[in-house]
Amino acid sequence: MAEESGEGSSRRLQVRFVTKLDAPFKVPAAAIAIPTDLSRFGLSSLVNALLQSNNADFEPEPFDFLIDGEFVRMSLEQFLLAKGISAERILEIEYIRAVTPRKEEDPSLHDDWVSAVDGSSSRFFMTGCYDGLGRVWIGAGLCTHILEGHSDAITSVCIINPEGMETVTVATASKDQTLRLWKLNTEEPVNHPMRVGAYKILRGHKSSVQSVAAETSGEMVCSASWDCTINLWQTSDFNAEDDLVSKKRKVGGQVEESQVEGEAFTTLVGHTQCVSSVVWPQREFIYSASWDHSIRRWDVETGKNLTDIVLNCLDIGGEASSLIAAGGSDPVLRIWDPRKPGTSAPVFQFASHTSWVSACKWHDSSSFHLLSSSYDGKVMLWDLRTAWPLSIIESHSDKVLSADWWKSDSVISGGADSKLCISSEIPLVR
Amino acid sequence: MKGKKKTTTQNDVEEAPSPSEKLPSPVVSDYDSESDSDYEDSSADDDESSDSLDSLSESDLDDASPRNDTSGDLEPAENELSQDEDVANDEDSKSDGSDLHQEGAESDSSEDEVAPRNTIGEVPLKWYEDEPHIGYDIKGKKIKKKEKQDKLDSFLANVDDSKNWRKIYDEYNDETIELTKDEIKLVRRLLKNKAPHSDFDPYQDYVDWFKWDDAKHPLSNAPEPKRRFIPSKWEAKKVVKYVRAIRNGYNPFDKPKEDDGPYLLWGDDSGSTEKANYLAYIPAPKQKLPGHDESYNPPLEYIPTQEEINSYQLMFEEDRPKFIPKRFTSMRSIPAYENAMKDCFERCLDLYLCPRVRKKRLNIDPESLKPKLPSRKELKPYPITCYIEYKGHEDAVTSISVEASGQWMASGSSDGTVRIWEVETGRCLRRWEVGEAVNCVAWNPLPDIHILAVSVGQDVLLLNTGLGDEEEQKRIKDLLWVDSTIASDDSGNKTPSVSWLKDDKLMGLRLRHFKTVTAVEWHRKGDYFSTMMPAGESRAVLIHQLSKKLTQKLPFKLHGLAVRSTFHPSRSIFFVCTKKSVRVYDLLKTKIIKKLDTGLREASSIAVHPGGDNLIVGSKEGKMCWFDMDLSSKPYKILKCHPKDINNVIFHRSYPLFASCSDDCTAYVFHGMVYADLNQNPLIVPLEILRGHSSSNGRGILDCKFHPRQPWLFTAGADKLIKLYCH
Repeated sequence: MAEESGEGSSRRLQVRFVTKLDAPFKVPAAAIAIPTDLSRFGLSSLVNALLQSNNADFEPEPFDFLIDGEFVRMSLEQFLLAKGISAERILEIEYIRAVTPRKEEDPSLHDDWVSAVDGSSSRFFMTGCYDGLGRVWIGAGLCTHILEGHSDAITSVCIINPEGMETVTVATASKDQTLRLWKLNTEEPVNHPMRVGAYKILRGHKSSVQSVAAETSGEMVCSASWDCTINLWQTSDFNAEDDLVSKKRKVGGQVEESQVEGEAFTTLVGHTQCVSSVVWPQREFIYSASWDHSIRRWDVETGKNLTDIVLNCLDIGGEASSLIAAGGSDPVLRIWDPRKPGTSAPVFQFASHTSWVSACKWHDSSSFHLLSSSYDGKVMLWDLRTAWPLSIIESHSDKVLSADWWKSDSVISGGADSKLCISSEIPLVR
Repeated sequence: MKGKKKTTTQNDVEEAPSPSEKLPSPVVSDYDSESDSDYEDSSADDDESSDSLDSLSESDLDDASPRNDTSGDLEPAENELSQDEDVANDEDSKSDGSDLHQEGAESDSSEDEVAPRNTIGEVPLKWYEDEPHIGYDIKGKKIKKKEKQDKLDSFLANVDDSKNWRKIYDEYNDETIELTKDEIKLVRRLLKNKAPHSDFDPYQDYVDWFKWDDAKHPLSNAPEPKRRFIPSKWEAKKVVKYVRAIRNGYNPFDKPKEDDGPYLLWGDDSGSTEKANYLAYIPAPKQKLPGHDESYNPPLEYIPTQEEINSYQLMFEEDRPKFIPKRFTSMRSIPAYENAMKDCFERCLDLYLCPRVRKKRLNIDPESLKPKLPSRKELKPYPITCYIEYKGHEDAVTSISVEASGQWMASGSSDGTVRIWEVETGRCLRRWEVGEAVNCVAWNPLPDIHILAVSVGQDVLLLNTGLGDEEEQKRIKDLLWVDSTIASDDSGNKTPSVSWLKDDKLMGLRLRHFKTVTAVEWHRKGDYFSTMMPAGESRAVLIHQLSKKLTQKLPFKLHGLAVRSTFHPSRSIFFVCTKKSVRVYDLLKTKIIKKLDTGLREASSIAVHPGGDNLIVGSKEGKMCWFDMDLSSKPYKILKCHPKDINNVIFHRSYPLFASCSDDCTAYVFHGMVYADLNQNPLIVPLEILRGHSSSNGRGILDCKFHPRQPWLFTAGADKLIKLYCH
């Protein structure tokens, strides 16, 4: 179809479509001539037409196209011109299924702004909300637990042992200057949300806690706060009697629950301004980002002044889990490679957002993909191999405050419109 | 005597035939007009006396060149000649006089008649020195030179021919001339500085033709003045000067002659005349040279068409072309130029009447007069773009204040609410209804005392924002507790200016003033704060102490209407800004330190640099004055940037930035660097104009504040919005 429409109107190009996809997505390997003014959409409909001609009951599917390992984001003619590729030889175009959500699930409404999400467990995900409640969801609109106890807005949530079998431990950080640890039983089926209280309250910060991250083994959590410090805490409750002060407290006068108050195991001091984000990717290292324009790696206290913008979010991932992605008070998502000696310039900069970047997360299995969310209300999916976003999710009507991957094919995001949006069925090449 | 007589007679005898000899040969006289009969004497001698010839030939052999010979050759003859000199000339002159006259007449006429045989013209021969030809004939053909004899040939010729020495090569006509004896004689006489003709008498008797009788005026018989025969001193000086110069190795006569270079026919001749006379002579402007269009037969493209000529008539008279090119077939058909007289007359008028004045023009590049400012890129970071808006107020936001750590921001609005916002996300955290339009909000500068001072109408409210942990909250509650029975200050006799009341509804304190309070300002230690009542006359500025719940008025007389006041960032100094001036008071010594004269019509705001020595004052006419208090009481710089009222000016606490906001809906951000070096003046660079707010009821941006730690600027607009500009 596309071939006929472009007949005689423009120059033509010999191409061959190749793919690493399996049988239903394979097209014949013969070279065909196509007009050069086709862009991604044109190519996609062309490949769909080819597939449908072979297999009548093929469902149309958006594809994305790579030439020499780079995504095609303009018309073929412009692309060849920009890359200096000859139009004479037969061009090999690889196609993959477009990394874009196929399905938008109904937004789950909260009572207030959704400030934090965590989707590191494949069975459920967690959200923190400005009404001071944490929520655990097993799917869109399916809330299983409500975590009660914080007296102010929750700023960050973290699942401590995501693959724990019956009970999982989660941590929440709040503007009421405390962290709380919770134990949940996610296995038992529930019809209505169950209200849960914290088993341990971590006090010690002198100002609002901005971020919480757990160690890989789950024994410790670290938290970043507006008082410029990072505190490390122990999560276990059984040895609390030995060295920590424990209190019995009546909650609401009805249930007697044991609540342990924890004290900081150690405090990392060094940042001069609010520590906005903290991650703990390996046992030895804690990375933290701060409003003093620096990212620090804490093992032997090394501070790096990487940028002159205020940093809001941080994540470690990518190739060999060592690339640092961070966003802050400008619309640029920056990626640094700390292994590169002698330079502190970012290796990648993605600047399609129009406002502050509020969250960035690496995909946990693909080292090329990451997402970013911004105050302009958009969540963008990025591939390191192209400077344009793979896909833009515009489901929010206000600032997006947090976003995360879930089950490695969905994106969950919460924003200032009190909605939790799930965009699912994102095909990612492995 | 006899011998001499003989010679003379001999002379005479021999002289006689000379004219006859000469006459038939006009050719000879051509070459040397001074050809002389005297010459024959010596030549005759030469012929007769063989010994003299011998000597000549010998000398010829010595120096081979034939030209140089003449002088050398003539020497031996000198003796004879000198002998007759003394007498002969004197005595023979008379007898020979007639002869001389004849000869002179002849030679003159002959000179005129003879045409030059050489046709190359009056061309310097050196031009053709190295050429095989000497010049060109009338047809333009080259005239070849004869081949020159080389030295050997000339030597051989000398040996062969005894008369060869008399031959002279005439370069100009390119031929060899053989001199006659007469001619040689004449040459010899000339060499001896004698008259060429032997019969010429230089010492003739003086014939006094003057009629001495009946002369009307007597001739002076005065003796010759002394100066006539005394050598000139000036010349002697000059000679001494030259001698010295030569001794010092500099020869003043050796100067190479400068080549004039080509004469510039159309060149401007003003330069040379200017140098020549020292008067400032301004040459008259030259007339324009005629071009192709003035030709009688100009190329076709110069001739205007009829349409064009018609269009000239429509033009304004002065713009009309003065001359319209026309074509004529021949020069004969050109008519007389009708404006010739007029043009000449006008040219003369121009030359005579137009005053010509030398214009003194300064050759200054205007770019170089601009101050050298560093580029904006080097001065980063500074606020550029707006990323976050704080929406929620229902009327113009009049005042904002940022908490010490920079996490929270408070705002007051005309809708009667005070709100606290989370800076990072733009979320409204708290909201108080205070009932009246808020004039000013000010956050306590201490990070652990979360108290907000709000001026509403005649009241100042101290609100507990509820932030901080339990201990801090307890302290704040203690601070904000007042025993309602002692609800007055200790000012005594008169009606108290302020009463401290408890406000249960808003959980805070209420300070009731007697006039409208426009501004509240905290001291850096968070205990004292000042309030401003412009209508309060002597009690316009009050200073309150929070811990003791005390109020005192400023112990100084205020001159003029107070507008704003502020505390010094590090010392106990207090600034009061009135409409026209700024007064600086020392609170400890209770005396005035300085009075700064703003020169503004109506000041509206004041801000002090964190260093404490510089302050800026914004005014209602849109001007901003920067004062360096160490320099003078006059403004160091006046920045005129806003077309409308400036509402607030502010310094950043740590970055070298300051900003102003105005009713024209813009905020200006400046780089204001104050150096620790006292010799260096502050550097002020305008950086950015922040736009984005819209006007409402003629008001634009009402307040601006910097973030305490980041180079960010908050602006509160009359359009109900608060914006955060980030770098």
